[in-house]
Amino acid sequence: MLFPTLAFGVFFLFVYFTSWSLDRENGRRKLFLLLASWFFYAQWDWRFVGLLILSAVLNWGVAALIARKEKPSTRKWLVALGVAINLLILGFFKYYGFFVEEMGQLLARVGWERDLPLLQVILPVGISFFTFQGISYVVDVHRRTTEPAKSLLDVMLLMSFFPHLVAGPIVRASDLLPQFDRTPRLTREMATHGLLLIVWGLFKKTVIASELAVRLVDPVFFDPSAYSALDVAAAVYGYAVQIYCDFSAYSDMAIGIAALLGYSFPRNFDQPYRAHSMQQFWRRWHISLSSWLRDYLYVPLGGGRKGTFSSSLNVMITMLLGGLWHGAAWTFVLWGALHGGAQVVERVGKRAFGERKVIPMWLGVLITFHVVCLGWILFRAETFDLAVAMLEGLSRWGPAVVTTPFLLGLIVVGLGMHWLPSRAAEGLTARLKDAPSITMGLLIGAAFLLVEAVRPEGVAPFIYFQF
Amino acid sequence: MTGPTDPNDPRPPEETGPPDPFPAFGGRPTFSPFPPLEPEPAPLAADPQPEPEPEPEAEPAVVVPLAVAPEPDPPSDWNEKADAHDLIERESRLKAMARFAFPPGPPPDDEGLAARDRRWATRVILVVTVFMAIFNAGSVPNWSRQQAPGWVTDTVRGVSEVWAAQVALLGADLPRQGVREAYEAARDAEWAGPEAAVEVAPAA
Repeated sequence: MLFPTLAFGVFFLFVYFTSWSLDRENGRRKLFLLLASWFFYAQWDWRFVGLLILSAVLNWGVAALIARKEKPSTRKWLVALGVAINLLILGFFKYYGFFVEEMGQLLARVGWERDLPLLQVILPVGISFFTFQGISYVVDVHRRTTEPAKSLLDVMLLMSFFPHLVAGPIVRASDLLPQFDRTPRLTREMATHGLLLIVWGLFKKTVIASELAVRLVDPVFFDPSAYSALDVAAAVYGYAVQIYCDFSAYSDMAIGIAALLGYSFPRNFDQPYRAHSMQQFWRRWHISLSSWLRDYLYVPLGGGRKGTFSSSLNVMITMLLGGLWHGAAWTFVLWGALHGGAQVVERVGKRAFGERKVIPMWLGVLITFHVVCLGWILFRAETFDLAVAMLEGLSRWGPAVVTTPFLLGLIVVGLGMHWLPSRAAEGLTARLKDAPSITMGLLIGAAFLLVEAVRPEGVAPFIYFQF
Repeated sequence: MTGPTDPNDPRPPEETGPPDPFPAFGGRPTFSPFPPLEPEPAPLAADPQPEPEPEPEAEPAVVVPLAVAPEPDPPSDWNEKADAHDLIERESRLKAMARFAFPPGPPPDDEGLAARDRRWATRVILVVTVFMAIFNAGSVPNWSRQQAPGWVTDTVRGVSEVWAAQVALLGADLPRQGVREAYEAARDAEWAGPEAAVEVAPAA
């Protein structure tokens, strides 16, 4: 069940009205939201609802044990156990096939060819997201930055809550558990902001991302050798816009849906293509993942406390693992290496030149954007050879075949939205929240109608569902 | 303002009479807050001015106590708290009656404010739903045609097709169609324009 579908619209209306009718009793309301979330998840594959429950029970149990123990060594062992369980679940479903295949090839090279047990493991949707949430909960309880949940229901809802379940943002226990403690309140600001984010996300996903994917990006990335440099370059820029509009649209809609149910999620994107350095890019792109990697990987590795070499090494390890998190393929590892390497270069440059501005801001934005685009080629190409073919295509001159004025316009719009005022949605919310309900309903309805009128038939799944 | 409601009016109430909303004209006496002026003796214009005599040498001043103490100042009606904006505003009779018929309740507490905001949000969602059901009615039959056949989808399709046809009779589908046509024209535009596309097509 995808957000931009009629089925989800009907589901959401049912959840909205029922959950607010249960607001006198918070426990019952949470139970209803949990059941609704499981129903939502079961639309992909009902068998994985069991995995979701199992993961929540394990994390709740480990965190409860950690909270009861005072001895540091015992607490360390328990947190290690909790993290290991989560990684085991993630590793089996996500990396088993990749690992066995690579191991088979390695053994064949050294002459020890074996028939390794290949399994067709289906990847549960959103497993990376709820596993990371589980890890952060256990570690936060160990660090005493979060109180353990008061009930198993809270942990289950934390991990299964349907707005963020399949593609984030990764909402931490410290953000959501305190909200579960009290009956949520829906203010005009929240409702207006939520509705605006849903419409805006719908536009980005169903119009910009879908049109670019179907008409430009998919054909060119499928066979780059058939297209000229203009088309290949447009496809690369188009993919940069597509992935931003696709993923940020999901986050926007998730934040908006949660807001209408009375819960507040953190912001996940902040105009990433206006970043003037790679470090800044990661503070603006998929913020919930980058801050997760910082807090639970980069900092435990030592962070930047032991000098430039150590911090560069830690950044490199973090980005490599971040790349691998996106998928079990060497192209993702290379993508992580590119981002890690670029950040290392920045750190070395900063050490050499200090705070002096070596390049102007606009040039920094331009360079950062193109490094990111280079990374997107690795990220999108299904194989390393296709990525190389894309790069070769950038030097093949000829007329544009698939790039039309309309598609170019979509790319310009997708990039142009990065230069809107940085808190435009909040500003618009402040202006609209005092409008009468009928005026507001007609405005939002007109916006929905506009998007519905121009969107293509059907909706492709969100890119980040596969991660 | 003076009159029976004015606390600073020194006259007894029986002298002041009913309040008068209009300023007094002509012979009607009005109450003045100031004491009456005493007539001053007119100066004699023809009086010869005596020559100034040289002042005698100053003698030490002797303070002679007054035989009769001076009368105290009359009481002032100055009110330090008075303000021109304190004038009484008459409430409209209709408003007064409405206030009497429907007395306002106590100001809402937090729970009341939350419920009010929630009702507002719910009304917005209902308006959006009805708006879409009218102006985007065609999307439901489209969606139901893409589903696997079954009792539910068949029923939804049957009902939604009738509904879509009815609202189309009122022209409710025209805005969507208009936007769609404009969008498709923009989407299908080529670099060389439509003429070039037509020229190229037969050759291809």
